[in-house]
Amino acid sequence: MRNQSHLRRAAVVAGFAASALTLAACSGGDSDADASGSAGTGDTGSGEPIIVGTTDKVTTLDPAGSYDNGSLAVQTQVFPYLVNTDYNSTDVVPDLAETAEFTSPTEYTVTLPEGLTWANGNALTSSDVKFSFDRNLAIADPNGASSLLYNLDSVETPDETTVVFHLKTADDQVFPFILTSFPGAIVDEEVFAADAITPDADIVAANAFGGPYTITAYDFNKTVEFTPNEAYQGLLAAPANGGVILSYFAESSNLKLAVQEGDVDVAYRSLSATDVEDLSGNDAVQVINGPGGEIRYIVFNFDTQPYGAATPEADEAKALAVRQAVADLVDRDAISEQVYKGTYTPLYSYVPEGFAGATESLKDLYGDGAGAPDADKAAQTLADAGVETPVKLSLQYNPDHYGPSSGDEYALVKSQLEATGLFEVDLKSTEWVQYSEDRTADVYPAYQLGWFPDYSDADNYLTPFFLTENFLGNHYSNPDVDEMILNQAVTTDPAERTALIEQIQDTVAGDLSTLPLLQGAQVAVAGTGIEGVTLDASFKFRFAPVTK
Amino acid sequence: MTKPRLLDRLPVVHQLRQAVGLQRGMLVAGLVLTGAFVVLALLAPVLAPYGYSQLADDAGNFGAQQPPSAEHWLGTTVGGYDVLSRVIWGARTALLVIIVAVLLSVFVGILLGLVSGYLGGWVDRVLVVVADAIYAFPTLLLAIVAAIAISGGQSGMWSGVFAAAISITVVFIPQYFRVVRAEVVRVKSEAFIESAQVIGASTWRIMFRHVLRNSTRTLPVIVTLNAAEAVLTLAALGFLGLGIEPTSAAEWGFDLNKSISDVAAGIWWTAVPPGVAIILAVLGITLIGESMNDLADPRLRARRRGKGTPADAVAQSEPVAREEMGEVQ
Amino acid sequence: MSTTPDVAAAAVSEPPPALAPQAARGGGFGRYVLVRLLLMIPTVLILVTLVFFLIRLTGDPITAALGGRLPADQLAERIHEAGYDRPLLVQYLEYLGQILRFDFGSTITDNQPVMTVLAEYGAATLELVTYALVVAFLIGIPFGLVAAANRDRWPDAALRVGAIFFYATPVFFAGLVAKLVFSVWLGWFPVSGRAGVRTELALGRDGGTGIYLIDAIRSGNSDYVWDVLSHAVLPAMTLGLLTAGIFLRLVRTNVIGTHNMPYIDAARSRGVSESRLIRTHAYRPALIPIITVVGLQIALMLGGAVLTETTFEWQGLGFQLAKYLQARDFVAVQGIVALIAIIVAVANFIVDIIAALIDPRVRY
Repeated sequence: MRNQSHLRRAAVVAGFAASALTLAACSGGDSDADASGSAGTGDTGSGEPIIVGTTDKVTTLDPAGSYDNGSLAVQTQVFPYLVNTDYNSTDVVPDLAETAEFTSPTEYTVTLPEGLTWANGNALTSSDVKFSFDRNLAIADPNGASSLLYNLDSVETPDETTVVFHLKTADDQVFPFILTSFPGAIVDEEVFAADAITPDADIVAANAFGGPYTITAYDFNKTVEFTPNEAYQGLLAAPANGGVILSYFAESSNLKLAVQEGDVDVAYRSLSATDVEDLSGNDAVQVINGPGGEIRYIVFNFDTQPYGAATPEADEAKALAVRQAVADLVDRDAISEQVYKGTYTPLYSYVPEGFAGATESLKDLYGDGAGAPDADKAAQTLADAGVETPVKLSLQYNPDHYGPSSGDEYALVKSQLEATGLFEVDLKSTEWVQYSEDRTADVYPAYQLGWFPDYSDADNYLTPFFLTENFLGNHYSNPDVDEMILNQAVTTDPAERTALIEQIQDTVAGDLSTLPLLQGAQVAVAGTGIEGVTLDASFKFRFAPVTK
Repeated sequence: MTKPRLLDRLPVVHQLRQAVGLQRGMLVAGLVLTGAFVVLALLAPVLAPYGYSQLADDAGNFGAQQPPSAEHWLGTTVGGYDVLSRVIWGARTALLVIIVAVLLSVFVGILLGLVSGYLGGWVDRVLVVVADAIYAFPTLLLAIVAAIAISGGQSGMWSGVFAAAISITVVFIPQYFRVVRAEVVRVKSEAFIESAQVIGASTWRIMFRHVLRNSTRTLPVIVTLNAAEAVLTLAALGFLGLGIEPTSAAEWGFDLNKSISDVAAGIWWTAVPPGVAIILAVLGITLIGESMNDLADPRLRARRRGKGTPADAVAQSEPVAREEMGEVQ
Repeated sequence: MSTTPDVAAAAVSEPPPALAPQAARGGGFGRYVLVRLLLMIPTVLILVTLVFFLIRLTGDPITAALGGRLPADQLAERIHEAGYDRPLLVQYLEYLGQILRFDFGSTITDNQPVMTVLAEYGAATLELVTYALVVAFLIGIPFGLVAAANRDRWPDAALRVGAIFFYATPVFFAGLVAKLVFSVWLGWFPVSGRAGVRTELALGRDGGTGIYLIDAIRSGNSDYVWDVLSHAVLPAMTLGLLTAGIFLRLVRTNVIGTHNMPYIDAARSRGVSESRLIRTHAYRPALIPIITVVGLQIALMLGGAVLTETTFEWQGLGFQLAKYLQARDFVAVQGIVALIAIIVAVANFIVDIIAALIDPRVRY
């Protein structure tokens, strides 16, 4: 009731509360956990629900059938995870679990507290945990993230409260992080199917939730009502609010107007740079920034780039000089300011700021040494290698997958490369699906990509990219890098591991397999009365601490 | 003797002479707007202060979302382009799409209409059913699917123009097909075709000439209305993110799409110019089409003081009236 | 664009779906209806086939979703498991088999039963189109009559240019301006959506018809009704005014057309007043083409609705179609297109039958 638009809705709210009670009666009917069903609605005294707006979409509630942020954003509120990261921390600590640790190099053992239950009253035991991982691997849904469980050999449950993960390779430092992410959600074996994706409606009807919240009303990709789950006993403190309503938008401009007008309390993912800039000058809302895991970069195809291995004039030294000259010429600050108005910040290495082991390897190596471009240095690099200028470079970007500003970003890159006459850039764009097929088929000599981490560890910025077998398929291969990447993943001493991660970045920065450009900040915009919005390096916006 | 007659028979010129009063006013207004649009398109390189993908000049980057100034009369876009230049260059893209779309659909539509009407039989029936199915389907939905299918490749200016044009064409063809086929079926049954065959003239040739002559009343109207629709479809595709990227060409719908956030933030100069450009271009072309439509239909034509002979009016109205009854043959 | 000048073109060429009169030749009315009914099948089949192959030219849903995450071989493996690398013809036949059994399957990308998607979002689109038609009728027809009565005088010119102006304004631009003026500056109407979140939740809970206005009225809560209506104003006006322009031109053209008929002249010579002529004599015969075009408009508005729905976050079929197209969700796109094709075919069928009832000449 803080501003006019709230007043306008006051009467509606009264009606809402009444119908909420009806629902509580329905959902409590077939289970013995009335407590959870009526928790949020019963004590609406603790505050009217917080309305969160987003443009991310849900694929499916079932954790086995999704591999996208929109689904994770909901799953993370309603499903329990064995381990997690606490607010503003990047260390993996027990969440649902009592303890979680390596008991031998290939055994990761988790113990659960006694007497855990799902919101519907079903017992939550080690058997549910085993079921969750086994079904994910068995279903191997094409839209799912079961491939992240690449190192999981089998799950064993010696007793009701103990789970032992048998891993394929020893001392995997990454596995605990994966447990905090997509495939780590635990589901109720009495509700979910063992061999197929369970429909959202069935999950909601069975109240098969075990996270900080349950879903008490679910209108697919329109509105979701979250009500605090009293059965949850994990790491995160009990929700400080009486409930959350998640409202979906398609257009960021509509989301922006909605938060500006007070129709939603918090807007999270994704507002355009213009929206954020405009809202940051608006007294009725606050802009909250957090570290971002999202990175944007240019990939070089080592076969087809100028002087690449598969071109007629193949020359490794010249090819490297071309990549270096590009690195010398790009002006990240200009892109960050002009195109993204600071919602993305310059990125000078492969592991972004905020992760253990992040460096700024490229800052010293290229440009003027302080992050700004240096045309003379680029000219010198090319001349030293005997490269004829202007270098003809074909650069590709995608207009529809990495946000609407990609076109502006790459137009600026083109203009920066061409400004000194060293490059002649042929800039083209291709629609996403075709783009995805073409880029791995060696069609593009240099192209745009972006990355949003699967889990919050530096490894996720190295292994998928720079091993010889990588998802880029850009024919980059450096045996030293391969060895170091494989080593860091199994190095148990944190300091030693960090040193390795830094060394990998230094080496790759010399090779320039890819050219990192920008790192995205997480941005949420909230009404001035909203408190507790926490955006940290978990890259999950957790509803529990938000209050109004 | 033949010369003025020929000039008279040219579409638009013919109508301009025919029109009186308000109808003439509308037609002239349409012609002026459309003329301005075509001039902008043709002389874009001369008229536009900067290139459509130019981000900087000797004085450095233009900067993004700069308000109107002496250097940039209409300010700059969120991507840092000069708004005025992009609006002017956008006319060129729109005109190209119109030309390609109309040419393609006229050509294919007439060809299919001739074939269908002339051959008859199951070919005709299949074509008619297909054309009707496509005709009845929402234009934009089909254009969206077609645009995605066609633009699978890279989005250069020409591939972008063709993607938009072809997706529009798919939906236009049935209209030409319909008119031409009806005319062919009518002409085919007339006696002079047989006599032409007897003296050994090519039936195809005769039909083609007759059909075209008899379609000159309706085809220009459809062409103008389709041209207007082409501009709107291009803009709609651009707005839905299926348009031409700014580095390949300037496109009004794309610029409008990019300016949505600006409008919400009170930055008016990036959205209004391309929006107004679309409105004026479509308004101009549609005014011409409407006027021609009126003039083609004697019942709608504004009455001159000294009317044409009643017989003339009947002769003119005959095919139109018949078609209006929903009859094809 | 969507809501097109087909209308104007229709006045020139002919009301479209008068296909294959040859089939109806010589038969009675029953036979005519039967033939028209049967002709719906190829219409739907053709569109469904066209879309089936077009969408498959554009890539697969798995690459669309995960192309930026997985290596090429893993992608290929997933595509293979999903069966999208099988010969197109096999997939097509399989698909035909499914629709013959009225089995539309579940969407690939978000696992929703297609029938649910159609029912739910179809209801939303139906609601929007109905509102817009109401606006179009209330504005288009009276003003069309005014224009016809004042033919070639300034009210006529102003109304016609106004109509063309609404037609020439892209829906999304009009929507943007309307939102800014009426929602942000004046604060009269909500910015977007079909209802406030709380209303939406409350209505969704009762599992009603999906047409919010009906659900809100049934709930008996006037706040919900008010909320739903206030959300509908801007989208309905935006789409409705565009269509009103088309109706206006159509009414005007046809009234003037019949106005000049000999029997009208005769009535005029008997001293019947001009306004009475318009109201009674010229109005009725002008109905047939209007019915025809209204039928077509329902189909065409489905297209216009895509833009209106996107601009106003109105979660309807067009909105969903755009989303599923982006994700290359074959199943969803085909399902939605099939439904639209059926609606279009049925609309045409009804229009044909009404036209034939009013004017028997159409049949032969």
